[in-house]
Amino acid sequence: MKQWTCVLVMSAGVLVLAAASAAAQPAQRETSKEPAKPTPRLADGKVDFGGKGVWAPIWVLDWANPKWVDKAVEVPFTPEALATFQHRRATDSKDDPEGYCLPPGVPRYTGTPYPFQMIQLPDRMVILYEGASHMYRTVFMDGRKHTPEDKLNPTWLGESIGSWEGNDTLVVDSIGFNGRTWLDYVGHPATEKLHVIEKFRRPDFNTLTYEATIDDPGAYTKPWTTSFKIPFKPGWDLLEYVCLENNKDLVHLGTSEPK
Amino acid sequence: MKHRILSVLAVSGALMIPAVPLLAHHSFAAEYDSNKPVTLTGSVTKMEWQNPHARFYVDVKDANGTVTNWEFELGSPNGLMRKGWTRNSLKPGDTITVDGYLAKDGAHLANARTVALADGRKVFAGAADDGGPSK
Repeated sequence: MKQWTCVLVMSAGVLVLAAASAAAQPAQRETSKEPAKPTPRLADGKVDFGGKGVWAPIWVLDWANPKWVDKAVEVPFTPEALATFQHRRATDSKDDPEGYCLPPGVPRYTGTPYPFQMIQLPDRMVILYEGASHMYRTVFMDGRKHTPEDKLNPTWLGESIGSWEGNDTLVVDSIGFNGRTWLDYVGHPATEKLHVIEKFRRPDFNTLTYEATIDDPGAYTKPWTTSFKIPFKPGWDLLEYVCLENNKDLVHLGTSEPK
Repeated sequence: MKHRILSVLAVSGALMIPAVPLLAHHSFAAEYDSNKPVTLTGSVTKMEWQNPHARFYVDVKDANGTVTNWEFELGSPNGLMRKGWTRNSLKPGDTITVDGYLAKDGAHLANARTVALADGRKVFAGAADDGGPSK
């Protein structure tokens, strides 16, 4: 990622690459030790995204960087959004809302390195997120349409409507965001005009493929799409996580007020 | 270092610098300096097994005998538990050696990377990464 400051240190013959602003190590794209079982399906043939276990994503620090996602994205920033992004990079993401234990939003929640579960009901999908702000998200699948824009209540996770493309792809269309989230750790901006289209697929039992299209005319000149894979962890449970109980980092981060 | 701590504060010449730890909850780079690895030895005084990061505190004695209480940050308790650690893996009074990265603001604070007991057993090894996937 060209915006990233990389420091190359040649040390005793060992080339060390430290992504200085990334605080990251290479993506831990582990594969489960379990033999690949087929995609589980419900009686109607639709994919079952559940099972005894959790989905455990890597930490996607940058939705545009192939270090974490399937392929590089040339992000079509507006000039204002680019300036915001560059400021966040120059300040090492110190004002990241997640540092304040605020919700990551969409699509960031799915690229946050804490497990989640998808509770699949006939009229809705409920996603339980362990980490970040320990929230749930309801994806309505009862045939409703989006709330008219003038009646929308802007929120961190927006309003999500789900539908199926065939039996294999769950499509989640979300609007109604409050514009206070960052799309990722590196700070791709989002505004209240954010519209996200997510596609969830489960090509085998242990793999969730996640694709998100970012359509935010407040920050980008055209939609852009990113994707990555999430492993299933059989037998894991979701655990309690209360981010605010001992959040001592803020005084050391040099944070400004959250945006 | 003005603290004159019993520390090795150098970019390793022969060894590879470990991957900078993941924190997940907040910016590593804004809080810690990946160019300032530190190794400290002392006696554990307290464990805070709480979110978003478990923390522990260590009394470190410098060459003059002055004791400073250092704070070390780990990953989330959930992430640590999934690696097999518990809140009792480190107890007050344990003598330990911690490898980590210093806070940028000069506080007696570091991000712990590995923790070794006096007998060499590792505790919270690689513990700074969080939650989901692990090696």
